[in-house]
Amino acid sequence: MKRHLLVLVACLACARQGREAQPPGPVTIVLEHQPLWGDPAAFHASLERFQQENPGVVVRTQTLPNASDVAREMFLTALEGGADDFDVFAIDVVWAPEFARAGWLADLTSAFPPERLRAQYLASTIEAVTLDGKIYAVPWFLDVGLLYYRTDLVPRAPKTYAELQSFARAAMARNPGLAGYLWQGRQYEGLNCNVFEAIWGHGGDLLRDGRIALDTDAARAGLGFLREAIASGLSPRSVVASAEEETRRAFQDGRAVFLRNWPYVWAEVQKPGSPVRGKVGFAPLPSETGAPGPGTLGGWQLAVNAHSPPWRRRAAEKLVAFLTSGEAAVELALRYSRIPARRAVYDDPRVREGAPFIAALLPVALAARPRPVTPYYALASDSIQGELSGAVAGLRSPADALSRAQRIVDHLESR
Amino acid sequence: MKARSQAALLAAPAMAILAGVAVLPVLAAIWLSLHRSILVFHEERFIGIANFRFLFSDGRFWSALGTTAYFTAVAVAAELLIGLPVAMLLQRGGGFFRAAILLPWAIPTAVSARMWAWLFNADYGLLHRLLPGVDWLGSPRTALHAAILVDVWKTTPFVALILLAGLSAIPGDVVKAARVDGARPARIFFSITLPLLRPAILLALLFRSLDAFRVFDAIYVLTEGGPANATETLSIYAYKTLLRSGDFGYGSALSVATFACVLGIGLVFLRFLGRER
Repeated sequence: MKRHLLVLVACLACARQGREAQPPGPVTIVLEHQPLWGDPAAFHASLERFQQENPGVVVRTQTLPNASDVAREMFLTALEGGADDFDVFAIDVVWAPEFARAGWLADLTSAFPPERLRAQYLASTIEAVTLDGKIYAVPWFLDVGLLYYRTDLVPRAPKTYAELQSFARAAMARNPGLAGYLWQGRQYEGLNCNVFEAIWGHGGDLLRDGRIALDTDAARAGLGFLREAIASGLSPRSVVASAEEETRRAFQDGRAVFLRNWPYVWAEVQKPGSPVRGKVGFAPLPSETGAPGPGTLGGWQLAVNAHSPPWRRRAAEKLVAFLTSGEAAVELALRYSRIPARRAVYDDPRVREGAPFIAALLPVALAARPRPVTPYYALASDSIQGELSGAVAGLRSPADALSRAQRIVDHLESR
Repeated sequence: MKARSQAALLAAPAMAILAGVAVLPVLAAIWLSLHRSILVFHEERFIGIANFRFLFSDGRFWSALGTTAYFTAVAVAAELLIGLPVAMLLQRGGGFFRAAILLPWAIPTAVSARMWAWLFNADYGLLHRLLPGVDWLGSPRTALHAAILVDVWKTTPFVALILLAGLSAIPGDVVKAARVDGARPARIFFSITLPLLRPAILLALLFRSLDAFRVFDAIYVLTEGGPANATETLSIYAYKTLLRSGDFGYGSALSVATFACVLGIGLVFLRFLGRER
């Protein structure tokens, strides 16, 4: 019996070795990414260019489902099963530490040294892909929370929460029926983003010694501000059940003074026929002190599958370098309105000329902060949402909700 | 004897498929529920019934169980109470009405739930205009009832259809005989229609209770379980634990608990149904 087993193991080892050897012919690598929206021709043309510059490498693309949750499920099951049928893949910013910890992402530190990345990219985007000093993905494009305001209703963008409140109150007094401040309070990931922004805006930090810290004074002040916004009528009750689109529509119909949302809203409110076209400005979120308030960092990073065999990994790293180059970022900004993670792209004359909105986003992008960069975040995020929702809906006090959330987080981190 | 073995032979493929697609996955889930299995941390070890011990002290589980039971009881009762008169009306109506009433049932749940979410919307919703002051999806108390309303709207036609089939099976002679004997319509309804409709009612109850207890899509689209987990049912809790958090062991334990509840409901109803024969 034992001997049979040995033979079997030897055979398996041979088979494995057989797979390790590079097959003859061109190297085919597979790129999995979410739809970029817009005409895919430009993106495919750039992949064509990559293949011309790298003879012997063939790139195939696979489009992921648009819903982040669904894409995540796919990756969880595929990567846990050791799938090696894709080499480069786009990951949501919050997955990086978790996937890296699981050993599913190739360590890219030698191909992309951290010092070089830090010099080229916005600091928060590199923070989000670094775990224990190693680089596991390269920022592709980003997303960030920001404040939209009605230029015809308020004198300028508010810098502090007090200003936001007084500007909104003044406008609401002149226009009855107007909502003051819209944000996303439905129980989902977006709620965490909104609450974290309020916590940062009140001087808080969400990580203490590498662990998620929610039971803090700043967190109570931040969550308290959002709850009070509803209780005092600054924000309508409807925010408790609202995600991005509900609030965007209300703002676009001219029913609100301020809106916290993501950059995609800009193109929508500026469309011909939009009731608020030409009457909207944007700015970093307010804060307690008046410094630009941090917006939650979102967006996509390119990672290399740890299960890819070595000969494909080299080509995969080249593809990542190509897709995250300054030139590629300019093209993404111009063709697909994707917001660059590279600092220099904001000053590029082509972007200033062809995508002034993106160039003007620099102060917002500079203030961006990632959600807690810990492998435990994904595990804890869902429980945190439930507790924060309890406070926002007025079921329990912010202090109570935060200490409950902290207990759950501590329980998860302790195992 | 020969006939018997032949029967077994003929039934074998069906039994094999049933075992493959129903029994094996259930056993696999039970096996997984006895493990601590968190994908990201590569934890995979046998821990016996520890997951179930945690489950019994998990407030979120009990709250989800309560929510699910309440949803099932209220939704199914309402569907039956509305479905019965609808079925009796349909018995007189033609094929057009029978087809038309099935419309809500024919729309995919995710689509109709999205539509209802806009109806409930506190800024634009039609329902909000009709009943201002009711914060449908934003308040923990009303959100669950909003979900029940959507479920009732969607599945009452299905219940009505089952009951209609039951009504058509009641022999006309019995009703005629009762009329000749001078029974009033109410008496006919309670003494003849309802007792003869019992099997159909039980069948509708069985189908609907099992379905309602596993409710997922409507609530997920409407509220994702919020606010404050007030609309979180067992299926949604299990889904979030399994796929969002990646905790396969505890997620499986939640699924097994849901399965046990559904099995229990099913057995009770089947017992009643069996007695009918």
